[in-house]
Amino acid sequence: MIKPRRLENAILAGPLVLFLLAVLGFPVILSLIYGFSDTSFQTLSAPRFSGLENFRDVTTDADFWQAAGFSLRFGLLTAALECVFGLALAVYLAPLIQRHGWIVAVLIVPMIVAPAMMGLMYRLVLHEFAGPLPYYLYHWLGWSPSFLGPRNVFATVVAAETLQWTPFAFLLFLTAYQSIPQDMREAASVDGTRPWRLFWKIELPMMMPTVFVAMFIRFIDGFRVFDNVYTLVGAGPGGSTTSMSIYIYETFLRKGEIGKAMAAAILLFVSAFVLLSLAQRMLNRADR
Amino acid sequence: MSYMTLLRGGVAGLALLAAASVAQAEVTVLGWPGGPEETALRAVTDIYNAKPDLAAENKVDLLFTSRDGFFDKLQVDLAAGSTAFDVNLIATYSIGKYAPFMEPITLSDEAGRVFGDTVLKTMQFDGQQYGVPTDLSLHFLYFRKDLTDALMADDAAKAKYAEISEKYLGKKMEPKAPEDWMWEDFVANALYFTQSINPDSPTRYGTVIQAKNLLFNMMVFHSWPRSYGANWTDDAGNITVDSEAFRTALKMAKMLFELGATPPDSTSYEYAEANAAYSSGQVAAMVQWNAAAADLTKAQAATVSTAPPAGPDGKFTHIHGLGLGLNKAAKNKEGATAFLTWLSTEEAALAYARAGGAPGLAGETVAKLAAERPDLVQVGDYASNHGFVMNGATSQNALSVYEAQAKEFTGYWAGTQDLDTAMKNIAASMTELLK
Repeated sequence: MIKPRRLENAILAGPLVLFLLAVLGFPVILSLIYGFSDTSFQTLSAPRFSGLENFRDVTTDADFWQAAGFSLRFGLLTAALECVFGLALAVYLAPLIQRHGWIVAVLIVPMIVAPAMMGLMYRLVLHEFAGPLPYYLYHWLGWSPSFLGPRNVFATVVAAETLQWTPFAFLLFLTAYQSIPQDMREAASVDGTRPWRLFWKIELPMMMPTVFVAMFIRFIDGFRVFDNVYTLVGAGPGGSTTSMSIYIYETFLRKGEIGKAMAAAILLFVSAFVLLSLAQRMLNRADR
Repeated sequence: MSYMTLLRGGVAGLALLAAASVAQAEVTVLGWPGGPEETALRAVTDIYNAKPDLAAENKVDLLFTSRDGFFDKLQVDLAAGSTAFDVNLIATYSIGKYAPFMEPITLSDEAGRVFGDTVLKTMQFDGQQYGVPTDLSLHFLYFRKDLTDALMADDAAKAKYAEISEKYLGKKMEPKAPEDWMWEDFVANALYFTQSINPDSPTRYGTVIQAKNLLFNMMVFHSWPRSYGANWTDDAGNITVDSEAFRTALKMAKMLFELGATPPDSTSYEYAEANAAYSSGQVAAMVQWNAAAADLTKAQAATVSTAPPAGPDGKFTHIHGLGLGLNKAAKNKEGATAFLTWLSTEEAALAYARAGGAPGLAGETVAKLAAERPDLVQVGDYASNHGFVMNGATSQNALSVYEAQAKEFTGYWAGTQDLDTAMKNIAASMTELLK
């Protein structure tokens, strides 16, 4: 009985696997070839094998490590903030949402906007002379912080990313919060458990797998950030807002060092893959 | 109607479409999208296509994409040997990068007289002509004449100006007409018109320096160090970026950032943001591209433009051109070459200018436009008398050099690194890029 079913599965999955191989496999193979070759726009069709040279160039490039540092700080900070705010919103608004479901639709609007558009929007909104926010701050307080100045630019891009993606964490947490059996809350209530203790000792532990997943997805997304940061402030003065993705983009298209860019992309992929595997393992262990 | 009939009809329709597209196998030109460049190119193309002796297969068809990432996309298309266009846009700073995928061209006999040597050189690489210059970009010093006139007419204001210049520049200075400014006057004026330094200033900031980490912003800045004698390389090809000239200009600009004479977030400004700052009426003077003249004058009626301030070596303005050149993989090279040759004639240049383009034209030709386009007279004058192209600025890695400078210099201005580190880094990068 098993063998025919396996054949059936293979037939059903075959077209999808072939499609994925064609659509994803070709660029992946090409990236691997370029990553191990001396390739420029002039030698695109005839890359020369260069072993690990590109990987050595990338790992000895101070700009690469600066970009990795930015991505790490940005990814961790935004993931943490999004999860904290998302969790707070989910728990605080859950009773209201139970009665007025449409509130969820309003809260997830930022997620629908393309990140690049979000960057452009903030570029306008925060401009000292054209933006409404600095205008009213000057008008009311006679002062405005330079949101995109060197001192505040990191905080600004973190805030922009957090505002856009907190709704994603909120949605995950709301689903997890609503799936906690009501009788557990009632039992705790009968025992005289105060709300804060109920949350801390019962609800939060039950939501921890979701917190972990949300943290991880948001970290990966933040680590590879490109669109909104690039459209808002570019690579930043002195490269101060250069993320890993921006580093790869600029190395590829602006500097024309295709092999080096591909090597950096491969390193980014491998590190994300290792992290994801570790997270999966930890999640499985927590489930057990 | 049976399926077979439908199928036959569909095949016939497709065949017709294919035949039509073959019949219209024209010269496809990939132009600079949006703005006056597109309008002007459309106008001259109409004139060219209306010529009675032009064969149908050599008529010109225009192709426009988007400005965002235009040169990146063009790079990929050219490298892939795309035949989607026969003629494509090039810019002075990218000729070296695209030259391996393009073919040199021969201009009309009158091109030298129409454009002049300085402008033709903006489209040359390795001694060969790769494009017809269509639009010329350079820099003006824009200033509020109402403010500078009021300053020069008021003794108390002059005393304040002297006091500020002595405090920050180490010597008492007198306000001058911007046409006579040295860069020190530009700095003194910027400090005087900054409210955090002079609370009586009518403007919040004395100037605005667009200092986003962006290659085009380096072009705007270059007029400053060049007037102190700066260049990328000497005649022997040695990198000379770590020079007193570059250091002096960088330090003077840094002073404006540190003293708040340019908006604090101007390290994230590019063309549009800097223009918005000036247009708000809160900035007294700025160095900006000539293309901004109409917008800035419209926003602040008292705006006057002149050549950028002078340094010990004189007045200088970076110039670069946009132009059109021949794709090596072009399908219709003969038709494309004929169009490019015509585009370099006086007839085409005048039509292009009248339609809103900004070609850099030499004396005799530009004189014919003096009444309609006085701005082009100014552009021609400044290009001829103050225009410069840094050594190596048309080389294969010129764009990367600008990129590297943008990273290091903006880092210095923003305080993420000191001047010695910035100079060490940029000298190393340029040595690698221009070797």
